[in-house]
Amino acid sequence: MNKKKIRDLMGEVMSWLASSITIAACLGIIIYLFNMGHAQIDIGFLTNEPATTLETEKNGILTPLVGTLLLTFIGTLVAFPWALGTAIYLSEYAKRNNLTETFRLGIDVLSGVPTIVVAIFGLAVFSNPALGFLSSMVEGVQDVNRAFGRSFLVSGITMAVMILPFVIKTCEEALKSVPDTYREASLAMGASKWYTITKVILPTAKNGIITAVILGMGRIIGDTAIVWLTLGGTLRMTGVQPWWRPDNWLSTLKNTGSTLTSYIYFMSPAGEGHQNENAFGAAFVLIIIIILLNLLTDFFMGSKEIGK
Amino acid sequence: MVYSNSGSIIISVKELNAWYGEKKALSNINIDIKKNSITAFIGPSGCGKTTLLRCLNRMNDLVDGFRLTGDILLDGESILSKNRDVIELRRKVGMVFQQPNPFPKTIFENMALPVKENFGNVRREKLEEIIETNLKAASLYEEVEDRLDSSALRLSGGQQQRLCIARALTINPEVILFDEPCSALDPISTMKIEDMLMELKQKYTIVIVTHNLHQASRIADEVAMFYEGQIVEQASTDVFFSNPKTQLAQDYISSKFS
Ligand SMILES: Nc1ncnc2c1ncn2[C@@H]1O[C@H](COP(=O)(O)OP(=O)(O)OP(=O)(O)O)[C@@H](O)[C@H]1O
Ligand SMILES: [Mg+2]
Repeated sequence: MNKKKIRDLMGEVMSWLASSITIAACLGIIIYLFNMGHAQIDIGFLTNEPATTLETEKNGILTPLVGTLLLTFIGTLVAFPWALGTAIYLSEYAKRNNLTETFRLGIDVLSGVPTIVVAIFGLAVFSNPALGFLSSMVEGVQDVNRAFGRSFLVSGITMAVMILPFVIKTCEEALKSVPDTYREASLAMGASKWYTITKVILPTAKNGIITAVILGMGRIIGDTAIVWLTLGGTLRMTGVQPWWRPDNWLSTLKNTGSTLTSYIYFMSPAGEGHQNENAFGAAFVLIIIIILLNLLTDFFMGSKEIGK
Repeated sequence: MVYSNSGSIIISVKELNAWYGEKKALSNINIDIKKNSITAFIGPSGCGKTTLLRCLNRMNDLVDGFRLTGDILLDGESILSKNRDVIELRRKVGMVFQQPNPFPKTIFENMALPVKENFGNVRREKLEEIIETNLKAASLYEEVEDRLDSSALRLSGGQQQRLCIARALTINPEVILFDEPCSALDPISTMKIEDMLMELKQKYTIVIVTHNLHQASRIADEVAMFYEGQIVEQASTDVFFSNPKTQLAQDYISSKFS
């Protein structure tokens, strides 16, 4: 009896210790970033473009911030319909056989591939001259006929490929969590399968699907390898200036830029910047975006129970 | 087969055998269902009542590995033939399940969904009229008329089941299949549904699976008793309960009524 009690107590203390260390580490990182970064953050930091030279006066993160948002937007826009379609197929149509199992295995493997691998793949594919319309053609070099293979469009699509397996799996889980009784109820009243999917299953799984998409966005925001290889290493936008003018948007999308993550790398001692304060400022902004996304998922997860 | 009253036959099951994979669930089933009557399927658990019921609107098509031989005729036409439109069949043969299964939507949307799918975009007034008529037919209207826009999941179990019945009525089926519709309900809700079924048979043909022999004797016109995948006895309700022919039926009745 006593032995059991001691074992119980030990177990409790151990798990308490483990979780305390985790919480302390998480909080520690956030507090550290806040300490290092918050002094940087003001309107100027958010609305100025990164400085070209070492004039530290007007140094800001406007283009990296916009770059992050642009990539997230493009990646999600491409990945979402694609992933949802696949998830609907897997959950509602696919029969259980070797073919679908192989397909699932493929998705699992792809979700385990490091993003740098997806990145070189993306670069290789989009350097194909036939896909030059997504970036630009390499000009002025003799005997070279290939696309530049780096742009917001290219990077966004590569991001979409990167998050695809994850979003498919989470969407599929959301669809599978819809009880079969709803499917039967709908089919039994003479509804077609497609009507059942669009009018009954998707609305019921809506919150789970939204959560899947938001989590996918988080992955895009946090990725660096794909940015590094397929967006290029330019802090500023390289399209026709001013990049923000509506009539220049296509040029902006077809050219390179940066994101918060690549900006942090540049500013860190590992890059060329030696402007640690700015790196921490950007890191702090990044963390805030991630926290906001998490709050959003909590909101949708919380109301995920069917029918709330 | 001897019937006490002669109604025209709407469903006719002929030499039906059914399997789930290798397991045989129904053997040599022959039964005629009469129009505008209530037919009750009774029998111990696992004897194949649900299986036969779900053959009648081909819901078993959804089960992997299910197959059958024999034939089922609805209004004289086979429902099993290859080119039979299953969606159209299910419009004619509606179903209410054991567990109430309203969609996680408002009461109004639950009712509107089948209407929109089956009759296209009907005008709003027409839609409201259909919904009101059928909620009344399921004797639910008074209880929900002022909260049609609140979630159907907030209704009580009995109300949910009546909503599901009303929902099944919206598409004007000829036959409605009920699989133990009252087994999850309290006695008062059960009585309400039984009363409603007696009303509904004026307009529809009803087939009901029930474990409750009292219920069968109260509402059914015809009874079919299942045992191990076969129908061992079928007769009009009066005859079945007053004068069961087989030993199995006698034992089953006495065990349930004692
Ligand atoms: N989806 C299925 N897959 C495999 N076997 C099944 C399936 N559904 C039913 N069976 C089997 O078929 C037989 C008949 O089942 P059925 O559900 O028709 O019985 P039932 O008479 O409705 O029983 P209950 O009164 O318990 O509902 C049972 O032995 C059951 O185990
Ligand atoms: Mg059953």
